[in-house]
Amino acid sequence: MDIYISSPLTGTAIGLPEVPDPVFAGLMVGPGAAVDPDRKLQTAVAPIAGRLVKLKPHAFVVQSEDGRGVLVHLGIDTVNLDGEGFELVATEGEDVRAGQPVVTWNPADVEAGGLSPVSPVIALDAEASAIDVIVDGNVVAGDELFHWR
Amino acid sequence: MPERTVTVASKVGLHARPAAVFVKKASELPVPVTLAKDGGKPVSAKSMLQVMSLDVRHGDRVVVAAEGDGAAAAVDELAELLESDLDG
Repeated sequence: MDIYISSPLTGTAIGLPEVPDPVFAGLMVGPGAAVDPDRKLQTAVAPIAGRLVKLKPHAFVVQSEDGRGVLVHLGIDTVNLDGEGFELVATEGEDVRAGQPVVTWNPADVEAGGLSPVSPVIALDAEASAIDVIVDGNVVAGDELFHWR
Repeated sequence: MPERTVTVASKVGLHARPAAVFVKKASELPVPVTLAKDGGKPVSAKSMLQVMSLDVRHGDRVVVAAEGDGAAAAVDELAELLESDLDG
């Protein structure tokens, strides 16, 4: 079954090769896209409907009913912030709908702290050929970002 | 079935980057390999989704197991990877 992955953030959609982290840029985590978020307080939303199987302040994974997992990673190297500046508005293990608020953060603060707020959105365990990027450029949280065949 | 229990060295645990390095290596191996938290249910070491969902932290004891021809070598290779710091 094809699924559409929504942008978790409002900003500019970019390709993974433009992400300033070789592991994401090299598609080692998986294929997908990234969002360079607008530098304002915003709430990252679930990219697909499913279960919030993993929720950290700076990253989360939603798994669809048919078993596909999508990772949203808020910024690069943000694991080192130990959750500071991230407010969870959903609960791990909860069933979420696409577009449901998950984490509130401010990309401007992350950037001011010397880290990139660019946020990869990854189709876990997917073949790169199964992904069609839909959007390039301005994107609003909840808009379709890519298509997973 | 060959298996080894090791302590995870990566400071952030098996989070995005270390998990990617680990899963990529596991995926290149010719045999089925699994990863489990000590005493927990094993998951495929070749799945990013399953490995990330395990939520392995720095200092956690994990069990790597494999079966088939070359299983012992596969386990050794992954165990060594887990015992090194993959954060860099």
